[in-house]
Amino acid sequence: MNAVLPQLTLEQWDARYAELVRGGLREPAYGGPLSRHVEREGDLRLRQLRFDNSAAALRLWNFLLTENERLRAARDRGDRLVGTMKDLGTVPVLAYSLPGLRAFYPDGAWWTPCLMECSDRLLQQAEALGIDASFCPVRAMLGAFHSEEHFPLPDLLVCSAGAVCDDFSAIAQRLERLGQRIVWWEMPRRRPPEAHEAVCALPGGLTAPQLQVDVVREELQRVAGALGELAGHELDAALVAPGIRAANAVRRQLAALRATVYGAQGAPLPALEMLVAEMLAVHFCSDREECLGVLRELLAEAQARVAVGKFVTADDAVRIYWVNPVADLRAMNLLEECGGRLCGTEFMFTHALDLIPEDLPPFEALARTALADPMVGPARDRARRVVAECRRYRAEAVVVARIPGASHCPWESELIRGQVHAQTGLSAVELEIPPVCDALLPTLRTRLQTVIEIARTRRKS
Amino acid sequence: MQVFCASPWVPVEWIKAHSLKPCGAWIAPVPESTAVPEGVCAFAQSMAALAKTQPQAALVLTTACDQMRRAADAVTAAGASHVFLFNLPATWQTPAARRLYRDEVDRLGKFLERLGGHAPASAELKTVMSDFDTQRAKLRSFIRRGTARQNAEALARFFGDGAVNEASLESERGQPCPRFQPSAPAADEAVRAPASKGSRVPLALVGGPLLPAQWQLFDAIESAGGRVVLHATEPGERNLLPPLPNLAPDQSPLTALANHYFDHCVDVFQRPNTRLYDWLGTRLTERHVRGIVLWVHVGCDLWRAEAASLREACGSPVLVLDASDIHGVGLRDTNRLQAFVESLQ
Repeated sequence: MNAVLPQLTLEQWDARYAELVRGGLREPAYGGPLSRHVEREGDLRLRQLRFDNSAAALRLWNFLLTENERLRAARDRGDRLVGTMKDLGTVPVLAYSLPGLRAFYPDGAWWTPCLMECSDRLLQQAEALGIDASFCPVRAMLGAFHSEEHFPLPDLLVCSAGAVCDDFSAIAQRLERLGQRIVWWEMPRRRPPEAHEAVCALPGGLTAPQLQVDVVREELQRVAGALGELAGHELDAALVAPGIRAANAVRRQLAALRATVYGAQGAPLPALEMLVAEMLAVHFCSDREECLGVLRELLAEAQARVAVGKFVTADDAVRIYWVNPVADLRAMNLLEECGGRLCGTEFMFTHALDLIPEDLPPFEALARTALADPMVGPARDRARRVVAECRRYRAEAVVVARIPGASHCPWESELIRGQVHAQTGLSAVELEIPPVCDALLPTLRTRLQTVIEIARTRRKS
Repeated sequence: MQVFCASPWVPVEWIKAHSLKPCGAWIAPVPESTAVPEGVCAFAQSMAALAKTQPQAALVLTTACDQMRRAADAVTAAGASHVFLFNLPATWQTPAARRLYRDEVDRLGKFLERLGGHAPASAELKTVMSDFDTQRAKLRSFIRRGTARQNAEALARFFGDGAVNEASLESERGQPCPRFQPSAPAADEAVRAPASKGSRVPLALVGGPLLPAQWQLFDAIESAGGRVVLHATEPGERNLLPPLPNLAPDQSPLTALANHYFDHCVDVFQRPNTRLYDWLGTRLTERHVRGIVLWVHVGCDLWRAEAASLREACGSPVLVLDASDIHGVGLRDTNRLQAFVESLQ
């Protein structure tokens, strides 16, 4: 049995950091010891997490945790900021095609209550503004806009509407009522083409009627008009094409990372770092070039570990496929503590992972990609992808994370679990994970241990 | 063939013109009481149940909310074949949204043909449109005189089967129509005899689907000393289209119909939902409304999120009532209503 690479506490990372610096570590401008984020930003949750011990992981965490700081610095340099909401992966491709624009997701504030262990009081602020705990934790975004203490207020807000989560749509509408002007764009509910309709192939092996693609393309052109106005420079197809190629460079890197980590015999990188790495795809964590560098280093680390057979979990760890992102990052550590390892994910933005077609007119390509969003289509399409990836990565069980208050979860979880079980025979368990899950840890642990135990029993039979 | 329709924004004239029988889902048989999973809207779940209990009928759901979209997923996964999910655009200010709506009307037509309906000639559609327009005019006239509950019944009848029978409505004044009797034992034992009309507090009832079994709400409001002067749940006045404009000789009636629905849709799911506030603002002022009862199905984020905005925009107190059960109105809600009205007196 191989020795398992240790995952480090925040304290241990300080010692490791000093060791790396002594060894000649070269860091980007946003580098530094991880513990400073607790002291400066109040990211208290870091004290409860276990981290990968590589320099690549250090860079990843520092990149993630300095996003607000980097956005402010960009604005000081004269960049204009675009708050893109809900579409998770499409509008940023457009925004980063223009010089001087930076796009970020205010939606990302949903992790702030977790990172700050609710000391930010964003959820209470959202409640005071009329959005209570019956809504998904993304309501933290409302508090962040109100307090202006987290991300800088964007110069332009863009939000997809239509076949999107009601929680988000309702919160964004409330935001507009509170005075933030929003450019809404229509996202139809993806459906299979009918016999009389022209069929359009989408990334991810999906299809849609051409007329839906036409609607989205027209809407994205309208959004491009607003972005161009903000940048003072028309955003035409000639500019979007290189933007798509640059986005695809990031997506290719991530695809290689996923294939390396999820396909490996053991887990060369922990579940938590993989969650963060995948999240980079949606808007490059506000810096497209640096994002590519972060992912390259992670991939190199993963490949090196696979080459020498060094992993972060035991050889017999059960291969778990994970559906939906978690509101509390701690849950990803818990998976490994219970004897599992990640072997695939469906974090609700697979359309931000798939390559954008480069052989089509740019707006058409982007429209097709946007329509491949797993959340705008039927749950059976999501389930089909989960099943395919479970087979590809030899999953032994499936975890469906339920997002508290999210309007899609009560229906969707059951459908996905049912379809996965029917087609693969795999056990699937549902876990509801709030922004700080400490109080539920015993229950979550028991449920995870049970599904892992069942998977182990199946190995023997 | 009956075609149950779960939204007032799908042109029922188009269904009727195909020689099929449009039927508002609000008056569909209510399924037996079953446990509603946490976070699921009881109305959406009842639509999923309807597909199972009425397999001989067709069901038109819309994409207006996540709950309905997911209910459509569940119904399809369960093997129901006569289900159509109508894509209602959330935006309304662009040619793309208008085109999307019109395309859906065309697609609905093909679905109706597959059910056995026949594609109507323009003249047939015009006749049906004119009939519905006449009925709407009658209804508008009636609801100026009727009591709140009578109006709710009249609206439900119209959105149920397209009919408005004024004589019948007048004769049943004050009596719940037998067809719409609550199916569950009334929780309204706590509801007292109506107070005198003159001193009642004028209220607006705003929100999502209100089913016949829930009409006790009107009695509860009356008993508490209030009076609903604006009924803006679903189906309600909010869903009543204005008169159709005259058609130009060369104008396609279907295009006119689709445009009419698209232009007069007033709902919470629209982005931005300023039309809803414009529509409410005028009427709340005209009718001297002093309080708003917001009727919200459990799991309905779209309406629930509006409570604070309604308070701010309309300047009226808002009482949120949670509709957790499609079979009636709970005692807790009755008590809350009483306290709300008392505080406004």
